Amino acid sequence: MYHFDELIVSELRKKNRDVLRELYKTHFPMIESMVCLNSGTVQEAKDVYQDAVIAFHERVQDPDFVLSCKIKTYLYAVSRRLWLKRLNEKKRFYGKIEETETFLEIESEMTDIEEKEQSFQHLAIALDELGEPCRSILEGFYFNGQTMDQIRDKFGYTNTDNAKNQKYKCLQRLKKLFFSSNNKNHE
Amino acid sequence: MSEQEWLEKLEQYAEDTLPLQDRTELQWRLNNDEVFSQKAKEHLDFLKTLKAFDERKKLKTELEGYHRSMTSEPATHEAPQKETKQIGAWKKYWPMTAVAASVALISTFTTLYLTQSLEKDQKAYYKELGRRVEQIKKSQSRILADIAESKEKATPPSPVPANYMGTGFLISPNGYVATSYHIIKDADSVYIENKRFGSLKVSVLISDPGKDVSILKIENDLFKPLTSLPYTILASESSLGEEVFTLGFPREDIVFGEGSISASTGYKQDSAAYQISVPVNPGNSGGPLFNSKGDVVGIISGLQTETSGTAFATKSSVLLQTVKEVPDSVSTSMKLPLNNSLKNLTRVQQLGKWKDYVFMIRVYSDPSKN
Repeated sequence: MYHFDELIVSELRKKNRDVLRELYKTHFPMIESMVCLNSGTVQEAKDVYQDAVIAFHERVQDPDFVLSCKIKTYLYAVSRRLWLKRLNEKKRFYGKIEETETFLEIESEMTDIEEKEQSFQHLAIALDELGEPCRSILEGFYFNGQTMDQIRDKFGYTNTDNAKNQKYKCLQRLKKLFFSSNNKNHE
Repeated sequence: MSEQEWLEKLEQYAEDTLPLQDRTELQWRLNNDEVFSQKAKEHLDFLKTLKAFDERKKLKTELEGYHRSMTSEPATHEAPQKETKQIGAWKKYWPMTAVAASVALISTFTTLYLTQSLEKDQKAYYKELGRRVEQIKKSQSRILADIAESKEKATPPSPVPANYMGTGFLISPNGYVATSYHIIKDADSVYIENKRFGSLKVSVLISDPGKDVSILKIENDLFKPLTSLPYTILASESSLGEEVFTLGFPREDIVFGEGSISASTGYKQDSAAYQISVPVNPGNSGGPLFNSKGDVVGIISGLQTETSGTAFATKSSVLLQTVKEVPDSVSTSMKLPLNNSLKNLTRVQQLGKWKDYVFMIRVYSDPSKN
């Protein structure tokens, strides 16, 4: 149905950064004017727009994802909702932003985005609370693809098994921090 | 084997790097040890969140890069020195600041302009949605040619093309049509037309200029009274935010529009109308506004010109009041629809039924009178 948009989706799945960049540039002016016309700044427009693009990019990675509306519609509808939420938090806004474009699953999409956002916030807090060297070990292994041998050398462990033990303990602690803050929030 | 080793194997398993022998062992335990498989699932989920978290962070940096390149700022140098941080930040943000400043300037002037024009001409605010063909003759000469052509075939031949158009809809199975008063106010003769019934002559039965409602009666002998209409006219008020739809003739073809009830009063707090967020155009006037069940909740009447997307509709309760004013001799033969047979249909099916009862209204008047 949306032939060109589907092409973009398949390129985004291959993590084609050029396509992502072009997509980003194409639709920013639309969100910029929506936010700026509704008591926002360019900086704020950038923030909500990036969140919407990230949400879309993550959604696309799901192999079951099927495009049910134009990408432009998705970005507009999600950005609009994110911006309304922020305005609400700041109590700066008493009007209404015209809903020119939206799609059917917007409600579940917004809950999903919100849940993810919250869980990432908790993870960021948990990582901060974790402290060093745990944080660097975990980031090295899970984020930056370092091997356990590299980590052993970098942090001066006598053998790889010691380093593995340490990594295991760090991960368990991070889990505990993460889930406790998660639960606190749900109560 | 310790818990730690099991989880390590699990991670390798998830990455598909676990040797075959270990894999069968792990799978066996996953299948038979419920406590462990629960824990394993939790662990993998957590790792997924961790990975996604990292990816999101990296993506965000990337988007920042795109953004900077877009605002025509050369890429900032990696690892900026602490001392130059402030200047760097200023350099980085000045294009955005400039844009923000110009936006502020533009909006200031726009506001000035708008408020001035507000004082100048209050009338500009409300616009009736009838379609004066003369005004758009140039751009739509083709449509006029169509009209002239169809005139030749039409049963009641008319000397001049219609000079005003709008929309109307059946409110009674025996040939009564509701529309907006402002469409037919200067009419010499009025015809209604749609695909199912063709072109029919109508007479203006009753008009209420204050409420902007008129009721027409189909005169043509060719019209056979229907047994019933599939929708009803709501006497109750619709609530804020309710989804509403319309069908109308802003051009020669029937056009669908959707939106919601934005306010329970109309232009200048008129309690006889709703404010709606349905996109409407000249020619939509008089069209039905109906809810998700397919029942009539209003009649499209006009729009506010200075704010885009703000339209108004006369409430259906007002229409019912007007119906009551119809003289007795006529109202005895006028049956209002009582049953709704559309409510369980999908929107598309509803529209398929509805469009048979929506008419284009052509108004003919003596041009010398205007």
